Amino acid sequence: MKKVTSARISQLLFLILFLILFLMTEYRGSDRIGVAVNSFFRADPLTAVSTLLAVKGWVPLLLPGLLLIAFTALLGRFFCGWICPLGTILDLVTGKIRKTAPLHWLKGNLKYWLLLPLLVASLFNLNLAGLLDPIAILVRALTFFVHPLIGETARSGWVGLYHIVGDRRDFLDPGYRLLKEYLLPFRETLYPLAFLSAIIFIAVIWLERYETRNWCRNLCPLGTLLGLVARFSPFSRKPVSLCPDCRFCVDLCPTSFDRDILQKEECILCMECQLHCPNMRVSFRPSGFSIANGRPVMERRVFIGGLVGGFLIARLFRFRDPSLQTRLLRPPGVRIETEFLEKCVRCGECMKVCLRSALYPAFSQAGIEGLYTPLLMPRLGYCEYNCTLCGQVCPSGAIPDLPPEQKKLEVIGKAVFDKNNCIPFAKRMDCIVCEEHCPIPQKAIRVEKVAMTTSTGQQVKVRLPYVVDELCNGCGICENVCPLEGKSGIEVFAIKDKTPLNETYPG
Amino acid sequence: MNRRVFLKILGMSTISYHWLLRDLSAAEMPAVAVATGTDFARLTGKAISLLGGIGRFVRPGATVVVKPNMGWDRSAAQGANTHPLVVRGVVEECLRAGARKVKVFDRTCNDERRCYVNSGIEPALRGMKNVELKHIEEERYKKVTLNGKALKEWELYDEAWTADVYINVPVAKNHGLTKLTLGMKNVMGIMGGNRGIIHKNIDTALADINAVFRPHLTIIDATRILMAHGPQGGDPRDVRVLNKVIASTDIVAADAYATTLFGMKPDEIAVTVAAYKRGLGEMDLKKIRLLKG
Repeated sequence: MKKVTSARISQLLFLILFLILFLMTEYRGSDRIGVAVNSFFRADPLTAVSTLLAVKGWVPLLLPGLLLIAFTALLGRFFCGWICPLGTILDLVTGKIRKTAPLHWLKGNLKYWLLLPLLVASLFNLNLAGLLDPIAILVRALTFFVHPLIGETARSGWVGLYHIVGDRRDFLDPGYRLLKEYLLPFRETLYPLAFLSAIIFIAVIWLERYETRNWCRNLCPLGTLLGLVARFSPFSRKPVSLCPDCRFCVDLCPTSFDRDILQKEECILCMECQLHCPNMRVSFRPSGFSIANGRPVMERRVFIGGLVGGFLIARLFRFRDPSLQTRLLRPPGVRIETEFLEKCVRCGECMKVCLRSALYPAFSQAGIEGLYTPLLMPRLGYCEYNCTLCGQVCPSGAIPDLPPEQKKLEVIGKAVFDKNNCIPFAKRMDCIVCEEHCPIPQKAIRVEKVAMTTSTGQQVKVRLPYVVDELCNGCGICENVCPLEGKSGIEVFAIKDKTPLNETYPG
Repeated sequence: MNRRVFLKILGMSTISYHWLLRDLSAAEMPAVAVATGTDFARLTGKAISLLGGIGRFVRPGATVVVKPNMGWDRSAAQGANTHPLVVRGVVEECLRAGARKVKVFDRTCNDERRCYVNSGIEPALRGMKNVELKHIEEERYKKVTLNGKALKEWELYDEAWTADVYINVPVAKNHGLTKLTLGMKNVMGIMGGNRGIIHKNIDTALADINAVFRPHLTIIDATRILMAHGPQGGDPRDVRVLNKVIASTDIVAADAYATTLFGMKPDEIAVTVAAYKRGLGEMDLKKIRLLKG
C-alpha cells in the first residue's frame, strides 16, 4: 500500500463498512433488519439506471443511486477511487501482483460494448446490470463462496475438536459463539454457481497482472457509466496533459494516464498525482463546464452496435425448459415473472439473508436470461412463515418489503401430493409430518381417516392428507420436512395466478 | 404333573407375579402435582414443591437439562411452545437448589434462532447466571441402542444423557397424529436424524425411546393449552387458558392427568397406552395420587 491519503482512508472505511453491512445482512433476533449491505446497492448508479430503464417508471428506493450520478456529474468518478469496495480490494492486492504489458484488446471500446447492451437490454425489460456490477460481483463471491467456505472450515474445525477433546471443548465455547455470532454464516450452505461467482471475482483480480485497475478502466460497466457522466464535471485536474519535462504521472496514475492527455472519464480522483508531483504543479479544481476534451464518447458503430446488441440479448436468451418452469418458485411477494426480471438486479442479497437457506441462484431453471435470479428450493430450505427478510434487503423492490401479515398471504406456489410416494397413500401407514409442520393456522394440509387393508390383512384407518389450495401459500415446509429420503411425497409447484390468499376463507 | 403342565403353570405364575408386583407398588401410588395460579413462574415452583421440592431431584453442583418444547416460531400466547415463565420458574428452582449449570435446548422445527427468540424463552432467560441456552450441535448426537419394538437404535443428544438431572418441560397441546402431545412426545426433542420417519409407528417408537431415556421429572405446562390445529396452532381461538402446571416423576401419570384437561380419557391416547403397557408408568387415574395446590 502506498502512502495514506484521504482517498485511501475513505476507501478503507467504505470497505470496512461494506464488510460490516455484509455480516449484518442476517437474522439477528429481530424481525426487521436495520441496515444491510443493500445500502451499497441502493446507492449504485448502474443498478439504479438499469432498473429505471426496465421499469420505465419511478422507483423511490433508487433515489440514492441517482444522487450519486448527480454528484459524479459534479465531481467526477470519485466513487471508484474513494468508495467502491471492489476497487479498494484491487488497490490492496495490486502491489503484490507483478505487471506485464497491458492487454490491447481490452482497450478502446470494449467497455461500451459491455455497458450499452446491458442498459439497452433493460430497456427491453431484461435487467442484467447486476451480472457485471462490481458490488454485485463482490457480494455474490462473498455470499456463495467465501463466507460459506470460511463458515464450513471453522465449523469442521470446531466439530473436529469435539471428536478429540469431547465436552472439554465447552471451555472454548464462548469464543466460538462470539465468532459464530459476528463473523461466521449461521448455516454453511452450498450454493450452485459458487464456482462461477468465485471465478468472476478471481478473474477481476487476475486482470491486475496486466495493469493496475484493469477491470475498472477497461471493463467495469458501473465505472464506464460514471465515466460518461464524469465527462460533464466542471472539476478537473490541472494540467490536463503530461508535462513534457517530467511524465512522472504515468507511473503514479492507476487509471487514466496511459495516454498523453488525462482521460477525464477514467480519472478516479485518487489524487496520487497531486500528492506526489515533484514540481508541485498538479491541482484539482473547478474549471468551468467543458465536455471532456470535446471528443465523441464512442464511435457511431459502437453506439448502434450496443443498441442492437442489447436488443438481441434481451430477446435471444428467453428460452425456458418447461419442465424446469414447473418448479420455478420465486421469493414471497413476487407475483409476475416479467416484472421480476425487470427489477431483480441479481445481487444475491435475498439469498444471503434467507434464514432457512431456501433461496438459491438460478443456473438454467429460469432460462439463460434468469441467470443468478433467486429461486426457492423447498427440499433444501423452506420459506419461514413469519420472516420477511428477503423483501427487506432487496435493493430494487423486486421482492416487495411486505408487513408479515401480508407476506403470509402471498403465494409462492401450491403443494401437490404425489400419491405414488407419500407414505400414507403408498405404504398405508400414518405419517402426516407435513400436516404437523404446515404453518397456516387453519392448516392448508388436512387429513381424513380412510379404512385400508395392510399387507398383513389388517383393517386399519389411515390418515390420508390432502391440500386445501385456497389456504396453501407454497412456503414449502411440507416438502422440506417430508421424511422420505430422496423424492418428497409432497412438492410445491409454480402457478401463474399468484393472487394472495383470502384471509377470510371459511374452511 | 407332566412337563407341559409344569411349564403352563410356570408361565401363568409369571403373569400373576407381574400383577402381584403391580399391586405391591400400588401402595406407593405415583403422585401428580397440579398447581393453579396466574403467576406462572411461581406456579411452577409450587408444583415442584408439592412433589417434595426441587432438592429431591437437584443436588448442589449438579448439571441440569431443562428441555422445554420450543419447536415453533410462535409467540407465548399462541400456545405452541412451553410458556417462557414456566421455563424460567423451573430454571430458577434448579439454581436455587445449587445447580452448577442449567442447560436449556430443543431441536426446533422452525428456524432455531426465531424459535428461541419468539417463544419468549431466550428473552426470559437472558442474563441469568449459570444458564446455557444453546442451539443444537449436530456432533453431539450419539447412537444409542434402544432394542425397542420399532426402533433398534437412534441418535440421542449427548448433553441430555450426560446431565445429572433431566427435567422434561412440555406444553400440553393438540396434535394431528397423536391427538395430544405431552411429556412423552416432548422427548422427541433429543432425537437426532430423520425423526419424522418414526411417525409411521409413533406409539411404539415413543415407548421405545421413553423406555431407555427416562426424565427425572416431567413438568407439563397447561397454563394455556392448544385445543386444535396443533402442534403449531397460530389461531388465538384455539387457545384455552387453564393456569395450571402439572408435575410428576411418572411421565405416564403426568400425561394421563393432562389428557383429562382436554376432556379426553388417558386410554384415548395411543402413546400413553403404549407406554403404560410397556410398564413405563401409571395411566389409571384411580391409581394416581393427586396433589393439588
